[in-house]
Formats: sequence, structure tokens, C-alpha cells
Amino acid sequence: MSASHANPYRIYWITWALLLVVTVSMLGAEAFHMPRWLLVPFLLTFMMLKAVMIGGNFMHLRFEKSNLGLMVFAGIMVTTLILFLYITPESHHVLDRTIR
Amino acid sequence: MMHDASSAATMEAHWGGGAAPFGASWQKTMMWIFIVTDALLFSGLLCAYSFLRQASPAPWPGPQEGPFSIPFIALMTFILITSSATMGSAVGASKLGDHRATLRYLVLTIVGGAAFLGCQAYEWTHLIREGQHLMNHAKGAPFLVNPWGPPQYGQSFFLLTGFHGSHVFSGLVILTITAIRSALGKTPAQNVEMAGLYWHFVDLVWVFIFTLFYLI
Repeated sequence: MSASHANPYRIYWITWALLLVVTVSMLGAEAFHMPRWLLVPFLLTFMMLKAVMIGGNFMHLRFEKSNLGLMVFAGIMVTTLILFLYITPESHHVLDRTIR
Repeated sequence: MMHDASSAATMEAHWGGGAAPFGASWQKTMMWIFIVTDALLFSGLLCAYSFLRQASPAPWPGPQEGPFSIPFIALMTFILITSSATMGSAVGASKLGDHRATLRYLVLTIVGGAAFLGCQAYEWTHLIREGQHLMNHAKGAPFLVNPWGPPQYGQSFFLLTGFHGSHVFSGLVILTITAIRSALGKTPAQNVEMAGLYWHFVDLVWVFIFTLFYLI
């Protein structure tokens, strides 16, 4: 019998504790005024880490067939990336026009 | 329940595509497809927020300059993460067939979700009282009065947290129905799992809003 079968709640509360640690680290980085060039990648990395923990452990993607995880992850990330990369240069053009 | 089981069996019987492509039941596959489409809605909203922020000529207020109390937002995050853990435990208990524990954890999740919504209502009220008006009657245009910076700041806040809050509210309705049916012994473990997937998704979206709107 595996550990997860012995105590089915364990994984959720371990994930909860890890999420709290990561969240407190993010708040700490903000409170201690980490330089912005370091703060933004730090926060983004930890945000993705939290998303992976929630998706993997709470939503059980870790235990599903890998193509389900791939469909979810690629579907969301690729679309978001395309959207973001298209509109970001446009936002700079808008800003330039507004300032001029 | 018999009707649910027989309709599910009928649908399974009509499935002629060979092995299930994702190795999951059709209910779970459909739930995941719904979650992906809903995630794309939030993805669009967050990209729009990014656009507004980068195109804004006025400086965007940082976490220290804005009207929000970061410790309070951290408390909201704590509540939501904890409710996700209790939801996961409800799913675990339902798979074990422990109906009492399932109901107990579902009720705890509902309490957490309601507390989060209460905090969000407080946050909205606080922001409006501080000066972010929902409607500027003098100019006849909404969201234009904002003492902290560009008007898009308040617009983004209400749009992002409003959409998320409406999802929390729908989640609470789903969980309440699941809890009542669970108390009556009418909810199979799979339905608790589906409700759980939706609730964890709500938590997942908050992770992005918390970081991108409040912290960065």
C-alpha cells in the first residue's frame, strides 16, 4: 500500500504548506524592496511554481495521462503567449502616440 | 441517481472512438475542456490588463502606493489556499467513501469561500470609499475618478476581481449543491471531484491576479 493510499489527505496538506511558504517568500521579497529587475522575474517564477503545484497536486494533473496535462498546459500557455506577444508592441505604440 | 447512472452508461455505450484519448471519463474530459476555455477568458483579461498598464502615460501605482493593504490581500490568499486544501481533502474522503468527512470538508470549503467573498466585498467597499467611484456623474463616464493614478487602474481592478469573484460565487453555489446532495447520499465521488476541479481552478486564477495585479 502506497503512502498516498494510507493517508489520502497528506498530499493536499503538504501542498498547502508549500504554497504558504512560496506565498510568504513572495510577500517577503516585496516587503524587503528587492530591486525591480530581480523582483519581477522572482515573482513570476514563484507564481508559475504555485500554478504547477495547484494544477499538479490539487487538480491531480500529475496523476493523469500526460497528454491531458499537455493539452491543458499547451492550450493555455501557447494562446496566452501569442496574445501577449502580439499586443505588447502595440501597447508601446499607443504609449508613444499618447506622449507625442 | 439511477437516472444519472443510466444516462452516463448510455453515453459510454455510444462512444465509438476506441480508447478514451485522455484516459479519463468523458465527464472529467469535458470539465477540463471547460476549465481551459475559462482559463483563456482570464488569460485575455490579464493580457488586456498588461496592455492598459504598459500603454498608460501616467505612472501605474505600485503595491506600496496603491490603496490596498497587502497583509489583507495576503489573508485573502491564505483563506483561498486553505479552502483548496479542504476541497482536496473532501475529494480524498469521497474516494474513500467516507461521507461524513466529505461533508465536513465540503462545509469547511464553503466557509472559506464565503469568507474570501466577504473580504472581497470589503475590499471593493474600501476602494470606493477611498475615492475610486463607480460612476462619475459630473462627466457621465464611469471609473474616471481615481486618486492613485490612471483611470485604467480602477477599471482593471474591478474587471479582474469582479470576474474572479463571480467565479468564486458560482463555485460556492456548486459546492453548496454538492454538499446538500452529499448529505442526502446522492453524490458519487466523481461529482465531488468535478466540483473540486472547478474550485481549484478558482484558486489557480487568484494566484495570477494576486501576483500580476497586487504584487508587481
